[in-house]
Amino acid sequence: MTWFKRTGWRHLVAVVVAIFSLFPIVFVISAAFNPLGTLASSKLWPTGASGENFSHLFSNTAFSHWFLNSLVIALASSFASVFLSFSAAYAFSRMRFRGRRVGLMALLLVQMFPQFLAIVAIFILFTDITENWRYIGFDTPAGLLLLYMGTALGVNTWLMKGFLDTVPKELDESATVDGASHVQVFFRILLPLVAPILAVTAMLAFIGTMSEVLMANIFLRDPESKTLAVGLYGLVAGERNTNFGMFAAGTLLTAVPTVGVFLYLQKYIVNGLTAGAVKG
Amino acid sequence: MTTPSTTSSGSGGVTGAGGSGSPRSGLPGQRGSDAPKRGTGKSAPPSEHRPREITVGFLVGRLIALGLVAALLLFGLPPLIRTDNWIGVGVLVAAGAGIAYLYLTRRHVPLKYLLPGTVFLIVFQLVPVILTVSTAFTNFGDGHRGTKEEAITAIQTGSLEQVTGAASYNLSPALKDGKLVFLLLPVDDKGDPVLDQAKVGTADGLSELPGLTDANLSLTKQLSEVPGYDILSKPDASARGDEIANFAVPTEQGAIKSSGLSKAVELKAVRAYDAACDCVTDTKTGTVYPADEAKGYFVSADGTVLSGGQGWKVGVGWANFTRIFTDKTVSGNFFSVFVWNVVFALLSVLTTFALGLVCALALHSPRMRGTKIYRTILILPYAMPSFAMLLVWRDMFNKDFGLINNLFGWHIDWLGQPTTARLSLILVNLWLGFPYMFLVATGALQAIPKELTEASSIDGATAWQGFKRVTLPLLLVALTPLLISSFAYNFNNFNAIKLVTDGGPYAIDNATVGATDLLISYTYRLAFGGIAQLGFAAAVSVIIFTLVAVMSIIGFRRSRSLEEVYS
Amino acid sequence: MRRRTVFAALGAAASASALAACGSDKDEPTATPSKDKGNGKLVIWADTKRTAVLKKYADQFGKDNGVTVEVKEISENLQQVFVTASQQGSGPDVVVGAHDWIGNLVQNGAIDPVQLSAQQKSLFAAAAVKAVTFNGQIYGAPYALENIALVRNTDLVPTAPASIEDLVKAGQDLKKSGKVSEILLDQCGASGDAYHIYPIYSSGGGSLFGLTSAGDPDPNNVTVNSADSIAAFTKLKELGEKGSGALKTSIAAENVVATFTAKKAAFFITGSWNIADIKKAGIKYDITPIPGFAGGKPAQPFLGVQAFFVASKGKSKAMAQEFVANYVTNKEVANALYAADPRPPALLAAQDDAKTADPDVAKWLDAGKDGLPMPAIPAMNEIWGPFGNAEVAVIKGGDPKTAADAAAKAINDAIAKKK
Repeated sequence: MTWFKRTGWRHLVAVVVAIFSLFPIVFVISAAFNPLGTLASSKLWPTGASGENFSHLFSNTAFSHWFLNSLVIALASSFASVFLSFSAAYAFSRMRFRGRRVGLMALLLVQMFPQFLAIVAIFILFTDITENWRYIGFDTPAGLLLLYMGTALGVNTWLMKGFLDTVPKELDESATVDGASHVQVFFRILLPLVAPILAVTAMLAFIGTMSEVLMANIFLRDPESKTLAVGLYGLVAGERNTNFGMFAAGTLLTAVPTVGVFLYLQKYIVNGLTAGAVKG
Repeated sequence: MTTPSTTSSGSGGVTGAGGSGSPRSGLPGQRGSDAPKRGTGKSAPPSEHRPREITVGFLVGRLIALGLVAALLLFGLPPLIRTDNWIGVGVLVAAGAGIAYLYLTRRHVPLKYLLPGTVFLIVFQLVPVILTVSTAFTNFGDGHRGTKEEAITAIQTGSLEQVTGAASYNLSPALKDGKLVFLLLPVDDKGDPVLDQAKVGTADGLSELPGLTDANLSLTKQLSEVPGYDILSKPDASARGDEIANFAVPTEQGAIKSSGLSKAVELKAVRAYDAACDCVTDTKTGTVYPADEAKGYFVSADGTVLSGGQGWKVGVGWANFTRIFTDKTVSGNFFSVFVWNVVFALLSVLTTFALGLVCALALHSPRMRGTKIYRTILILPYAMPSFAMLLVWRDMFNKDFGLINNLFGWHIDWLGQPTTARLSLILVNLWLGFPYMFLVATGALQAIPKELTEASSIDGATAWQGFKRVTLPLLLVALTPLLISSFAYNFNNFNAIKLVTDGGPYAIDNATVGATDLLISYTYRLAFGGIAQLGFAAAVSVIIFTLVAVMSIIGFRRSRSLEEVYS
Repeated sequence: MRRRTVFAALGAAASASALAACGSDKDEPTATPSKDKGNGKLVIWADTKRTAVLKKYADQFGKDNGVTVEVKEISENLQQVFVTASQQGSGPDVVVGAHDWIGNLVQNGAIDPVQLSAQQKSLFAAAAVKAVTFNGQIYGAPYALENIALVRNTDLVPTAPASIEDLVKAGQDLKKSGKVSEILLDQCGASGDAYHIYPIYSSGGGSLFGLTSAGDPDPNNVTVNSADSIAAFTKLKELGEKGSGALKTSIAAENVVATFTAKKAAFFITGSWNIADIKKAGIKYDITPIPGFAGGKPAQPFLGVQAFFVASKGKSKAMAQEFVANYVTNKEVANALYAADPRPPALLAAQDDAKTADPDVAKWLDAGKDGLPMPAIPAMNEIWGPFGNAEVAVIKGGDPKTAADAAAKAINDAIAKKK
């Protein structure tokens, strides 16, 4: 009974939720290995095991390109957005200045505006940019990256600010007294301490970029320059003949880099404050 | 975290450059207990620190700042100067000067940290929002996208009809004395050229081109050799494409114009704009369509819009907003949709947060084994592309073919009845969203000092009491903004509705609004359903934004006391 | 940039008005040569399906004409992206799409007419030319036709049913004997599917629009709840879940192919796009026109035409016209497009080739020969949603009149608002 109270319930929760998590995914796996492209299989297990969908994905589409593009863009964008939002969070958490509260609130509110007409605004903005600076305009990953940076501040800043608020101020104040500049406090003391939340934010930004369709669809228009999400969407959207088998296979493969990034970041997420402090 | 810190220390030099003076972070009169403490830090004699600050890093930092400005000006300016865009040049130079000042001065420390992200936020978030809001006061939409000039162009281009009975020609654009002329070879019904009727077309009109034989023809039956004329090769012709497209050879009935680079036809304009009366006249029927500047259309006296429907963008004041409140279709269904919308967003946040938190707590124990595998599995729903999984869930809910009914032997029409459709959506959203909450809760749990939780257990509180008294309030401090933002996100969760139920099921007597419609999906259909009404959609965005923002701010007020603990 | 677009537009307007019969615009400037030269570049936008095959022929065209051709792929929402991009001056020179976009593209001034000579017109199937004609003008070069038909598993049912009643009876017999689980596969889904139900609906007497005096669909006369249409909805109800069970809302795009290839149904109303999967599964099949109700009207499928359009705000308009009017109308290109995506070609010569190569082509064309070209008027876009809702309601056993009235009201409201 005590075992259950201490640890057992944890396994019970984890197993139940794991089953809930996996249920639809097993279904996708079964569709991915089903040679007749369908999502309508009424059975959980594959009716036929075949790697055909996977091989078609690589031979009939530019899947490997998509994969690589997504990886590069998502990594770059999550790295940049973590840096930008952490800088801002540092200012919001450790400094007091006029407009701080208003700024924080505005950050959150501006993200709430419905994206009804995003496409119109993007074309108005980037038509000019493309005319003048082709290398950050349409059809360039750099342009897309810039656009993604627009959402770097926002809820992530709040997340990190909340976390920074819980780091005792005495830590950096004593450093300041010792003569460290605010830059040194930022990089040498705080950054290592907040590794978990940096990792979480990086993860969130990575996933967000990986599944973004709207902007990427407008931006990257050469078949080889597409991202995974757009490429996959193209397999099921619009046309009446859709290949759900290939789509399912692609969906599975899309999850691979995300899981990889998560496995890499996991140690930072679970290592708590003390572990970080030791490292710092 | 090796990679990030290496790189960021490089760019950190930029932010560091100007900031390395005495910290001026605290504003005078700052409330709270930290002010005096910071005061101490501030009052430490700056002169003592200065010598060690002029280091390599300090210099490198300034150099990077200046380099950035130089790069901005060097790469950004030339295209603007080339196109005489002096406003752009001004903005860019001002921005460069601003950056240089900011990172070279010792003042404005917070801004040094805020600026990079804020610039992007303003350009790529705020500007689109402002554009959208300004659209709300126009009739912008399908048929009203451009200017009046553009509409007139489209009307006139669209009205160029082929003159009945006139010949069509194989065209060879050529030069005569350096001037463009059209060498025109009429073709008969079978596509064969009629050599003895060949003509030369100039801007003044047509003249005969006698004495041609088969020897003058290419394989594709175009004129390829005519003495006295320099026939343009295809690449040369394409280089003069615009000139050829605009070239018109006047004839009695209209003009001969090119159709591409190798064919020409005789055209006449059926509808023509007359600036004198600001109207378009249909020469076939004689109907006059005066411009209606209020509606942005050419409308005849009997109210008929000019066929083709080309109009232009005009300002309509508050009309889009008043329509939201006066139009029965919109306002009549507004309340019921709104209620479900709030319920949907609230339940989405609460269920995902509860499940995510329970998972995070369950795995947050040093005694727990297998956490790595559990965590990886729990994150999977979030790692799969969400639009794909929404489609998968929709299919799993299918009454006859879906996995759920088949597995459990049920015959429930999940998405076909209002209650079950709503339940299904909440469930799908829970599946998609709990890993997010799990992730942030896991991160936030790390931030709670062990001493606090340990202290509570020494006090003899049970685990549950400890959680309720210590852990949860602390978690909420960090996570309340996220919960509010998640509420806002789900309030406008268009994808979930669009891909799973598309708003349905619909009551039989109401084909306008379905049981699972959110404000956003409902108005999306109203505004984009067929002919897009982007101005109206923008007005609706403003209203929806106002609603969400007000609810969020109220949420914040309620949780502010929590935040005060730390700020 | 915006400024320049306006200048270019003015230039074009001036040259067009020079042609105008009433020449009261002498004071306007003459055609200003646009600053935006195409730079020897032709940009084509297409959806995922068509990008790859177009690339090859576009390159050939580029070589012949000394230009570079870029084929761009817009995976999602091509029509809206095109209209928006065009308006801002970021659009392509040529776009590939369905003919029912024309009404919307024209009202937005996004495409120009294509001046095909009478001789060129005669090279195409008449129905295809008619479909791309809007407001008295040809607005695109058609290249493929598509329509749905009845695909039948010939092992299960050797002869084609003469009427829907026969079909239902044959399906019910098979179902009773346990050979199949569904009578008919006609995709509907939770939101309905006007495209796939239309043939049966039209056979029951239903219609969408009245006709103008010129014979075009009239957006001011929505006939979804006319007495005839309500009768048609009643027939759908009889075929629905509370009736014979031939039509079901659970039958949807994502499961029809799998059900047919698993031999769980003998009848499948679909188009040529699903034939590849049926062949792959080794099903013996035949393609016949969709039967009508006994004593009813013929079942009329929608006829869709894929076409090339010339963007009116493109930067290489002459080149775009040349490509659309004089290049993609040639047989080799049509054949190649057919090979990549087997929908019957619109070009008669290519159609003949395709018929010889694949007997199915003639069957598809036969099934679509009396088809209704999908109305290209913008108001057609208002039909899909409300009509689909009405379809779902009656298939579930709801009252046809209530459902039809609700749909008509929603459609009329939407059309009226958008004037």
